Formats: sequence, C-alpha cells, structure tokens
Amino acid sequence: MLDYRTQRRIELFLFEEAKLLDSGQFEAWLKLYEPHGIYWMPSQRGQTDPLNVASIIYEDHAILSIRVARLLEARALVLTPMPHTTHLLANIEAAQIGEAEFTAHAAFVGIEYQAEKQKIYSGRSTHRLVREGDSFRIAEKRVDLLNCDGTHVPMTIPL
Amino acid sequence: MAATNGAHDATPSADDIRGLVRPDHVHRRAYADPSIFALELERIFGRLWIYVAHESQLKKHGDFVRTRLAQHEVIVTRHNDGQIYVLHNRCPHRGARICMVDQGTSRLFSCPYHAWVFRSDGSLSSVPHRKSYPESFSFDDPQNHMRRIGQVQSYGGFVFATLNENPEPLTKHLGRMTEVIDNLVDRAPDGEIEVADSSFTLQYRGNWKLHPENAADIFHPSFVHSSSVMPARRAPANASTIDNDQTREMLLANGFGNDEWENIQLSGLAGGHTFMTSFYSSGVLANQDADPVFARYHQALVARHGAEKAAQILGVRRFNNIVYPNLIINAQYQQMRITIPIDVDRTVVRIHCFRLKGAPEAMFHRAIRFLSNIGSPASMIFSDDVEMLERCQQGLEREAVSWIDFSRGMDADQRGADGSVSGAASEMPMRVQFQAWVDYMTAEANA
Repeated sequence: MLDYRTQRRIELFLFEEAKLLDSGQFEAWLKLYEPHGIYWMPSQRGQTDPLNVASIIYEDHAILSIRVARLLEARALVLTPMPHTTHLLANIEAAQIGEAEFTAHAAFVGIEYQAEKQKIYSGRSTHRLVREGDSFRIAEKRVDLLNCDGTHVPMTIPL
Repeated sequence: MAATNGAHDATPSADDIRGLVRPDHVHRRAYADPSIFALELERIFGRLWIYVAHESQLKKHGDFVRTRLAQHEVIVTRHNDGQIYVLHNRCPHRGARICMVDQGTSRLFSCPYHAWVFRSDGSLSSVPHRKSYPESFSFDDPQNHMRRIGQVQSYGGFVFATLNENPEPLTKHLGRMTEVIDNLVDRAPDGEIEVADSSFTLQYRGNWKLHPENAADIFHPSFVHSSSVMPARRAPANASTIDNDQTREMLLANGFGNDEWENIQLSGLAGGHTFMTSFYSSGVLANQDADPVFARYHQALVARHGAEKAAQILGVRRFNNIVYPNLIINAQYQQMRITIPIDVDRTVVRIHCFRLKGAPEAMFHRAIRFLSNIGSPASMIFSDDVEMLERCQQGLEREAVSWIDFSRGMDADQRGADGSVSGAASEMPMRVQFQAWVDYMTAEANA
C-alpha cells in the first residue's frame, strides 16, 4: 500500500487539476500534462484500443493545446455563454507502478452549468502520473464515462 | 409543445404544403409545425427508400441491427435463408418491445412477457402451453408473427427499406447517388467494405432537415468553426505524435475564403440528392504518394484495378453526398451519417465509418480519427454545428419571422438536361432539397 504522504500528495494534485478546470484556467490545466501526455475518453466500455475504435477524445498535448486555445477563443459558439463546472473526485486509490510512476483511480462527478441548463457527467477516471520534483505530471488521463456509448449532446469543458 | 409553435391540428393539404415553399424562401412551419412533421414521417420517411443497415453488420444468420424507420422501431436481421428482413420491434401478442440492444447476434427473438419466440424472419417458433391457446391459433398466421416491412432492397451493401408497398426501384430513387456507393466500395482493394463497430450517436433539439441542410452548406464553416480554425492556424505543424497532423488539417480545412466559396462546385439532383466537391485537400487528407501509408494503399489498389482505374477511383472527390432524405456518405474518408427524426424539434444523428478491406491498417486508423474529430460529442467541429442547429430551431419556433431565406446564388444556378442543378457559392442544395420535399409531401395530391 502506498504511504499516506504520497497518497495525499496525489489526491491534492488531482484536486488541483479539478480546481483549474473549474476556474477556467485551461492553460494552467494543460501544463499539468507531460509534453507527450495523453487525454483519453473512450467511446466503449473497457475499450483498450484507441486506434481501431473511435474515442470521444484521444488527444496528445499538441492537439489538447488546440482544444484549450478553442476554450479561450471568444468565438466558440458551443461555449457561448461560457459553461461553468464543478469537478468532484472521490474513492481515490493511488498506487506506485514504477520508480517515479503512479496510477490514481477515482470516481468522478462533473456538473456543467450553461444557459440555464445543468448537465451531469459521471464515471471513473484513471491518471498515470510521473513524479516531477515535489509534484507530478500527467502522462495519461483516461476518463470512462458512465454513458460513454450512449446518445450524447455536445461536450465542452474536459472532465 | 409550446403554443408559440403555431401548430395546426388538421393534416396540411397539398396547397398548404406548396404554400410553405417559394423559390427562394421557406416558411418556418416547415421546421416547427408538428402536423407538418407527422406528414413528413408518413410521406417522406414512410414512402421513400430509407437506409436501415449495412450488410457488413449482417454477415451471418442471426446478426441483427436495431434502428428506426419513420415512427417505428425496427430490427434488421439476417435469416437462415440468406435474406435480410426488417421487422417491427414489437411482440404481436401484447405489444411489448422485444429487442433492447442496438446490435448483436441471435437466431431467435423471445418476448420476455409470455415467452413467445420468433425466428429471425419474424415467424413464430414457439409459445409455451400451446394447448391453452384456441384451436384456431395458428403458427402460420402472419398476425402471430413479428410484423415485417415488405420492401427491403440493397445497393452495394447498403440496405434500404420502405413502408411504401409499391415503391419505385431503389436504384431509380438513388439515381446518380449510386456512384458514391460504387466509389466507396471500389476504394477497398479487396472490393469489400465493413462498417466499423464503433460509432457515435448525437441528439440535438432541432428539426431533422437542419442537419442535411448544414451538411450541404459551404458558407457556414468560416464563421461557425472559426474558434477551431484560428487555434489550428496558430498551432505548429506536425506537433502531434499520434495523428500525423490529421486533426489540425481537418480544423484548418474549415477556414474558407472567397476562393474556396467560388471553387467548391455544388450539385443537386432530381429527388433532392446533393453533393459538393471535396475541400479536405492538404496533409494526410489529401491522398499524396509522398505519404507512405497512402502510397502502400495506392499500390494495393493498383494491384487490384490497374493504374488507370485506380486513378479514376481516387479521382472521385465528392464530399457530403446526401442521399435524400437522410443518408450522408463521404467515400473519400469512408464516413457515413444518418439523420433520424424523433420529433418536430428533436433529431438523432448516427455517425459511422468504414474499413476498406485490403487497405493498410493505418488507413482505417485515419477513418477512425476522422470519425472522432467530426462525430464525437466532444468534436471541435460538429459541436458548434449542433449549437447553430439548435439556435435555428429556437428562432423558428417563434412567430416573429415567418419566412427564411435560401436565395444566395440563385441567379447563377446552371440547369442540366437531366434535371440536375449546379452552382458555386450557393444555397442551391437547400432549394433542391425543398423542391423534392414539396414533391414528396404533395405526391398523393398530384397522382
């Protein structure tokens, strides 16, 4: 079992990520990722293949940086008015998988409010983290939505 | 439904319908009136050939797909006689829905309520406690079968069905749209295509017609998609390590200017079908031999067809081929969309891609990425389109403005002898779609 201090540091890192998204600091959020870090939201339950199976999002840092720039573009229609979110994380289980490499499994709820409407997203997330100094960087974040294979409406702010 | 919709309860007459469409304007009731929508389900989705499945989803006995045909939920099956059947997803006994999944394999369909069991052609296989049913109860009586849709035909693996008992031949309805199906199949070095087993289903609060109109509209991308075009322009080339810059190229492609508007040729055909010339023309989307994946694919295609035919196949660059009323095919990127009307102001869009058998795996990975980039709910492209479709519906539901404008490019439309229309920088595709709409919606009165 992971020592309490490291478990707590990982939790605080994940909370920081959630706070950056909730406060609209998307560029700072992107900086949490490794230069080749991946954000993956599968479209199928238990999906293992991002190349032969479509994903809701399968993007590395370079593509994510376009997504973040779009979040900051005043003209994005689907972001007008800008949505606001609350990202909640619970049931966080962290484990060490390499000398400076960790995983963190969590359950999440993401609530988005925009133009008098509230949407609720839920599921489980898995972070693969690498230690960097006193903190971490995200090598990969996988977001398994409860309704990944359901009927969707447009999504805006990353979960 | 809000009272502001101005709903007319009675079935609209042919004159009512004709009165909604002028050469250059359409009345908002075409999008917002539930009685018009009900008539569309009957006269368009109930009478025309409607795409229901692809044969690659129905390879063996028992394979099935669940979908919609007009207001009905249907299952499309492959039976042990090799035939494809389209069945109402409803038990003839007490009316319960039988199949609750979108796709699968099952040689028998059983109703969980009183355990009537049906074969994949809809016929009744067994009922428990047979002796308690009347003497006259017959397994052969079609009343006791899952009800079949009578008319089912395929073209190039695309399965269509219609509630119309006396439809024109499918190929007559498709007309020149058969070319895009042929082209998609021809692009497979092994001569066979398969629907990918992953797809997206999106829903929007708007009338079904808004989606095919948007897919035929070359003017909106510069405006609607500027929030992804601008960041893509600022982003460095080839920075991504996972997609050969495909995402950035796709976003860039929506940055139209006057040249693109004037050079994209639009075509409209009798029956309401439309298409445009391609506009994805750079990077990995451009099909250049300098790209090693494309070069290998090209070789495989030449090996099958010879250089001349291969060049001809790859030279077909028709984008957003819209088979009226609701099937959109992009052969060049192996993509397909289906627009499914749910209610006057509610529509589902299913977005699929195909595998070209015999092509390098990486070609399929590109088709998958194309699908994700344009069809995912998190798409940086389609999410903005959906926002506009919903805003149009919100405006069209209000009485304030009755007529909307489709006049752009009207003076320059070129009419061909075969009834086709072509133009550039034009809203001609919507005019063609609405001309067909009037024809289909008033066909009974004209007969």
